[in-house]
Order: sequence, then C-alpha cells, then structure tokens
Amino acid sequence: MTQFGTWQPKIRGKLFYNWPQGACEEALRFTSAGQLGVEPYDVAIVGAGVVGCGLAYRLSQYDLRVLLIDRLHDVGEGTSKANSALIHSGYDAKPGSLESKLLHEAEADWPGLAARLKIPLDPIGGIMMAVTDEQERQLEAAEKNAHANRATDVRILSATEIREREPNASPDVRGGLLVPGESLVDPFMASIAYAEIALANGVDILLGADIAGVELGQPPGAPLHHLVTADGHRLPVRRIVNAAGLGSRRLADGYGGGAFDINPRRGQFLLFDKSARPLVQHILLPVPTAHTKGVLVAPTIFGNLLAGPTAEDLPLEDPAATHTTVEGIRRVVEGGSRLVDGLARQPVIATYAGARCACSQGSYVIRHNDGAPGIVTVTGARSTGLTASISLARHLIDGMQKELGLELSPDSAALDCRPDSAWPGWWRRPFENGATDARADHGCAVCFCEVISGGEIRDALDSPLKPRTMDALKRRTRVLSGRCQGFDCQVPLAEIVSGHTGIGIAQLTKNGPGSELVVPGQAEVTA
Amino acid sequence: MSCGQHFKVAIIGGGPAGIGVAVGLAKRGIGPVVLIERRAEVGGTPMGYRKKPGGVPTFVEWTRGRVVFGEELAGRMAKRLAKTDTTIRLSAQVTQIDPAEKRLTLLWPEGVCDVTADAVVLAAGAREQTPAEKGWLAGARTARVGFTRHITGWLDGHGLLPARKPVVVGSDLIAYSAAAKLRAAGSDKPVMIDRRRSPSAGLFERLFFRRWTRPDWSGDVTAAGIKGDRSAAGVQSSDGQDWHGDGVMICGELVPNTELALLGGLAVELPSRQLQLARGQALSEPGWFAAGNVLGGFHGAQWCYFNGRQAARRVANFLE
Ligand SMILES: Cc1cc2nc3c(=O)[nH]c(=O)nc-3n(C[C@H](O)[C@H](O)[C@H](O)COP(=O)(O)OP(=O)(O)OC[C@H]3O[C@@H](n4cnc5c(N)ncnc54)[C@H](O)[C@@H]3O)c2cc1C
Ligand SMILES: Cc1cc2nc3c(=O)[nH]c(=O)nc-3n(C[C@H](O)[C@H](O)[C@H](O)COP(=O)(O)OP(=O)(O)OC[C@H]3O[C@@H](n4cnc5c(N)ncnc54)[C@H](O)[C@@H]3O)c2cc1C
Repeated sequence: MTQFGTWQPKIRGKLFYNWPQGACEEALRFTSAGQLGVEPYDVAIVGAGVVGCGLAYRLSQYDLRVLLIDRLHDVGEGTSKANSALIHSGYDAKPGSLESKLLHEAEADWPGLAARLKIPLDPIGGIMMAVTDEQERQLEAAEKNAHANRATDVRILSATEIREREPNASPDVRGGLLVPGESLVDPFMASIAYAEIALANGVDILLGADIAGVELGQPPGAPLHHLVTADGHRLPVRRIVNAAGLGSRRLADGYGGGAFDINPRRGQFLLFDKSARPLVQHILLPVPTAHTKGVLVAPTIFGNLLAGPTAEDLPLEDPAATHTTVEGIRRVVEGGSRLVDGLARQPVIATYAGARCACSQGSYVIRHNDGAPGIVTVTGARSTGLTASISLARHLIDGMQKELGLELSPDSAALDCRPDSAWPGWWRRPFENGATDARADHGCAVCFCEVISGGEIRDALDSPLKPRTMDALKRRTRVLSGRCQGFDCQVPLAEIVSGHTGIGIAQLTKNGPGSELVVPGQAEVTA
Repeated sequence: MSCGQHFKVAIIGGGPAGIGVAVGLAKRGIGPVVLIERRAEVGGTPMGYRKKPGGVPTFVEWTRGRVVFGEELAGRMAKRLAKTDTTIRLSAQVTQIDPAEKRLTLLWPEGVCDVTADAVVLAAGAREQTPAEKGWLAGARTARVGFTRHITGWLDGHGLLPARKPVVVGSDLIAYSAAAKLRAAGSDKPVMIDRRRSPSAGLFERLFFRRWTRPDWSGDVTAAGIKGDRSAAGVQSSDGQDWHGDGVMICGELVPNTELALLGGLAVELPSRQLQLARGQALSEPGWFAAGNVLGGFHGAQWCYFNGRQAARRVANFLE
C-alpha cells in the first residue's frame, strides 16, 4: 500500500508560517530571519500566486537558493483561487503579442505538465456561440484572428452543427466557432503542485509575510537587497521577482519601479450543482466585446457547471474586488441564459468573485532591473495567467539570464514531477486504490456532499505545504465546497484538524489571522 | 456487511424519520431491514441539541405536551430502535443509488460496498438554504458566516460561541431557536433579518422564545451583502441599511437532502429540489419511498418519526 503524503526523495526546502500565536505548530512558526539561514537568496519571488509558484517550480530545477513569499497563509490564495479554471488556447489573443506567444506555447505544454504535476486536465474544447446576427458577422474575423494566433484547428460551425454537439444550446444560436484547444483544469492544485515540487527541490517558502518595503543595495547598484516584512524581518536577497499580482504596484513603489497602472477587474461567478453538468458538452463562450470576453458557461473539472465572469473595474485596494453582488449574479444568469437554455432552473451551490489584475500598459508587463539592478517586475497577467504560468516562467528565466546575469546549472537531483506517493487528491480517491483496507478513516466520510473522508483530511494536513486553514484544506480536498457549503462538515472538520495537529479548535481559521471560526479570545469548555 | 448483501428494506438515514420506518417495519415483522446512517450515531439532527443546564429546549414532544432538548427526544427514539432486529450501519454513507435495481452504493470504514433491497426508504432529512440559494444575499466570503448546525456544533459540542453579536438571517422557528440559543449562551441581543415582510415563525413560537430573547427584527430586505474582510462584520442592504455584528448565522428555510434522488434519476423538481411523489410517500420509481424532512418543508422531529411509521405501512403494502 502506498503511504500517501510521504515524499521520496525527502523534502529539501524549509517551510514557515509568519503567524505569531497563530493556528500552526511551533515547528512551522517563523520567528526570526535566521531560520532561513544567513546566505542571501539568489532569487526571492514575492507573490505565491500561480505565476510565482510556476516560476519557483522552474527555478527549482537549477542549483539556486530560492525563496517564495506570500502574505497570505497558503499558496495560490489571491487571484489564482478565483477564476474560470480554463486552459486557454489563445485563439482570441492579439496576434504577435507576448500573450499570444505565451499561450501558444503553454497550450502545448499543458498535457505533459498536468501529468507531471499530477493534476487533472480535461481537454473538452470550446465553442464560441453567436446568438445575434451582428455576432454571427464577427465569426469570420474571429476565425482569422485565431489562425493568426496559430490556433489552426479553430473553425466555423453552423447552427445545426452546434445543436448536434450542444442539444441545450440557446434557440437563438446563429453559428459559432469550434475552439478545440480549450481545456478544464484544477486551478487550485496548479499553484499547490508547483509549490510542492519547488519545496521538495529546496526552494524555501515563507507564508504570512507581507513585504512592506525593499531596502536597496548600498551604494546604489550593489547586488544585495533586503526584503522587509511588515513586522520588521529583513531578508537578504540578490534578485527579486515582483509577482505580487494586484499587490505589484505597492511593492514596486518600494523599490522605485517604473510606471504602470493596475486595478482590479472584478469577475463574479455562479456555480451550479453537479446535476447541471450534463447540460453542456463544451466550454461555451460568448462572442467577446472590446471590454470583456463575456459570460461563459463551462463545466468545472470537479463536475459542476460554472457561469461567469462579469467584468467590473474597481479602484486598487477596494476590498469589494472579491465580493459578489445580487445585481452581478443576476447579470451572470442573464448572460449564461443567452447561451444555454434552462440555465436559470438549475440548482445553484455558490457564488464567488475574482479580481483580474488589469494593467493599462497591457497584458504581461515585464521589466528587468526595474528601479535597481536585480529586480524584475511582472504584472498585468489579467485573464490568462493560469494558462501562461509555465511558459511565462521560462520566459522570465530567459530574461533573468540575459538581463540580470543569472547563471544556471541544472540540479541533477531535482524532481520535475510530484511523486506517486504525493497525497492523492480528490480525483484519485484512496478507497479506489484499496487503501481503505488498511485505514478505516479513508472510508469514513466527513464531507457528505463531495464524499471526502477524514483520512483524506489527515493526508492533506501532512502534505508538504502543511495546510493549516480551512480554505487551504478546501482547495486540496474539496471539503466545504459542495452543495451544503459546510453546513454538515464545518465543525467535524475542525475537530479532525485540531485532533491531528494539536492546534486548539478555537484557534482554527478560515484563511489566517482575523478569520477565526468562532469569536476569538474564548477558551473551549469541554462538553 | 459483506458486499452484495440483499435486504427486504433499506432505509437511508437514521434520524427520527428513518428510526420511525425501522420501528414500524419491526412491528409488522418485516425483515431483514438495514438502516444506513452516515454519522457515528443514530438520532439525526436533534442529536446535536445537547441537554444542558441553562440551555434552550427547542423540540416539541407533542405526545407528552412539552418542549425538550433534541437529544432527549432522539435518544428515546434510538432506544426504541435498539429493541428491533434492524441491522444498523453507522459511519456509512449512501453515495449513489440505482433506482431500477434498488441498489445502493455506500462508503463505510471497510470500503465501498453495494447493497440491494426490495424496497428503499429515503429518510435523509434536510439542511439549511445557503446564501447563494437564497439569491438575495451576496457580498464577502468571510469566516463566521455559518448555519444553525454550526451553532449547535460549536456551542453544544465545544462550549464556544460562534458569534457574540449575531446577525441571524431567516425568521422561521429554526431561526428563532438559533437566536435564543445564542442569547442564552451569552451573546448580545441578536439582530434578525429576512426577505419576508413579517417573520415566518408563528406567534406562538415567537412568544415561546421570548423567554430568552426578542431579536431586533428587520423585514423586507430584497438585496443585501455580507460585510467584512476576513470575518463577517454584519450585513448591508443595497438600500443602505446596515446591521453590524461579528457573525452572520444563516438559519432555517430547509432544503431537502434529495441529491441522491436527483443524481440517481428519480423525479425531483428544480430548482426547489422537492421530490416528486407518485402518491402518498411513494417516489417516481416503484419500491421507493420517502419520510420526514426529506419530503420538504419544515416538520418537527416527532412528526417525522410518525411519518416514518406511516411510510413503514406503505412499504408493507407494497411488499405484499
Ligand atoms: C474572473 C477571472 C477569470 C479568469 N479566468 C482565467 C482562466 O480561465 N484561465 C487562465 O489562465 N487565467 C484566468 N484568469 C487569470 C488568472 O487567474 C490570473 O492571471 C492569475 O491567477 C494571476 O496569478 P498571479 O500569480 O499573477 O497573481 P495572484 O494569484 O494574485 O498572486 C499574487 C500574490 O502576491 C501576494 N502578494 C501581493 N502583495 C504582496 C506583498 N506585498 N507581500 C507578499 N505577498 C504579496 C498575494 O497575496 C498573492 O497571493 C482569470 C482571472 C479572473 C479574475
Ligand atoms: C439545522 C436544523 C435545525 C433544526 N432545529 C429544530 C429545532 O430546534 N426544533 C425542531 O423541532 N426541529 C428542528 N429541526 C427539524 C428537525 O431536524 C426535524 O424535525 C427532524 O430531525 C427531521 O427528521 P429526519 O429524520 O427527517 O431528518 P434528520 O434528523 O436530519 O435525519 C436525517 C439523517 O439521515 C442521514 N443521512 C442523510 N443522507 C444520508 C446518506 N446519503 N447516507 C446515510 N445517511 C444519510 C443524516 O446523517 C441524518 O442523520 C431542525 C432541522 C435542521 C436541519
């Protein structure tokens, strides 16, 4: 029997939570910069979204001292946790743009990459649907544009051809575009798997560390900088990659980075129950407008059906950037119903919103030696960063070699995939692998909607990134994400986490400090 | 339980309704019967309502004309069940059904297993409606947005208050009992909001809970958002009304647990998730029945128990 959660070879990187008095064990707690060693890092990546994690994964293939930092208490908890979860073929990009190039490369990478990361990918393909005469007239140009983006398999479909493929397509459908290169992916596990492999290969990971400033090398131009956390820790680094997404502007201000303007473009989604999944066979895309790709209807890799997103520009730092609104969700239902008949009747399970990092200077702004030698700014990964994470990482490493003098020698001991013994994941259930024979807790459900066992929660807790928040467990196991939204499992789940880690149940949080599950400051009264 | 075992009757769910079915079948001498419960104990929803000094009793025991704690009522039912020959499977969840074959797939500590039966009763109970299902409540996704089940889980299970300044969303009996439980455990006076103009709980029920609290009521809320950064800070309506708090409790408005039926292909109405009954408690496929709160609406625990007994009668008729 495979003992899940064990990694062979051993994990080489260090993992810490900068979480004073927080809900993690002492051994995981960051108290002083000395815990990371005295030797400066060759590269520090600020921002452990899918972009930062992808870069850490690629850099971990070389003999380098690398640090990956995020202010949140898990990787991939920013924009990377709330998106459409699609691998895009780039058929609708601007031909000749960096985005077009990155997506074209990434589309070819993903099947092999998903196999190495051991995350599910479903190449179901997309159909862009024209539902007005005007939209129908745009199809030819869209096809041409796709071919210019080297998506040569894209072709026009007649209304009849669409109905054959999509019996529930709106009766208004006039025609469309078949886009075979679009796929479904698990967006959460992409960041997590990248980061797990990076950690195994020796990348250090520091979570809960808000980088509030950068002390540039002195005299100006000297190659040693310090990252300074909001609570005063100083971390010596030779090179910095600002992959902080919507935090990239504030961070860049700390090192005098060049001009760019970003703002959150909110996208609201509606998630339908699994009974709605058979309604569609492909990713159904609307004909885009100049401002937005519009509301799409797509299955999720988890077997639900998704509609969204909206596109609403909000000011930087607006906390509402990830809030849903009654009005926004109404527009999602309206938009989705233009593509799929009967969508509004489907039972819903949740709404959520993500904030795209919209940059006035365009998608994928990359600056080398920005503000000071050794600093790279990467921002504006607006709508495609999940897909492009792998090709972007390569592109960034190329740039660092050329512009920052980064020298690379491959680490012969580095893994490029998660081992078979990695925690299996919700799509590869232990009881389908015979593990229930040895561990009864793999057969005892705690989340009834998604049928997740207590054993799987314990396996996830033991996995390399030592997830310690409810949301971190949710992204790995799907607990709390079914139709009852934690009604049945919240408290039993907390009991399992507390029992397995020894963390007091009243200390447990949804996603870090300030998000305690019960009013803070109470002592548990044993029943 | 060896895989592929066959029973005369299989009961999905060991709450008051499922227990009622098992007791009713035993009285008629029908067997073998299996009762499958996904929790570690039988008794269902009422079991979470522990008997505590200073606590709030919320379950009406009509047969004795009094209001008791859930675990007292369910405990008495469980005793009656223990006197029968019913095979009881705990920590066993039915994950899939095949209506035509009357086959159930279940996950339990020994693995995955199928059982078949001549008749099946769905007694899976209900849960509370989520904000997304309500449609009029959106906003931030924060900590301390919970359900009544979390109040009982934290309070009765661990002596922890899920909210000190609660905003209760909903206004039925469950919402009032949730408000009373919180207040009795030391919370501030709860605020209660709902889309309805006036509370859906009846006057008698509201008067009963007045002993513990009389929540600050606001009705007619047509669109609102949960406020807060990392944890809930209250609710704000789109027309600017603001209710502060440190936790939002989503209470009542039960949604029947009919997903097995829906995903298995039995007739279920959408988006309400109501079972479509052929007649009485019989479902769209012959040999399938339902009892208790899975039938939709709100019913007290004792009603569910007797509804289970009635289902047993219908099952007996079917088996003849
Ligand atoms: C509605 C919507 C739909 C989308 N659909 C798709 C899709 O289908 N396919 C696709 O490929 N892409 C999609 N995207 C785009 C994709 O989600 C993003 O491009 C990608 O997640 C960006 O990753 P990132 O790492 O740049 O940013 P983030 O995930 O935001 O990561 C940045 C990280 O930096 C951290 N950080 C910020 N400031 C600091 C600081 N000072 N100190 C420490 N840490 C800091 C943050 O906490 C955060 O974790 C969509 C996006 C949205 C919003
Ligand atoms: C949150 C909440 C609070 C309530 N509060 C009150 C109150 O204060 N006072 C009051 O009088 N009534 C209250 N009620 C109503 C009360 O629950 C019912 O009166 C009664 O418990 C319903 O009995 P039941 O057997 O139909 O359902 P339940 O008691 O819910 O029992 C259903 C059982 O089926 C099991 N089950 C479900 N699906 C499966 C499956 N697939 N496999 C195996 N087992 C399964 C469940 O684990 C559960 O034990 C409340 C209901 C809810 C949901």
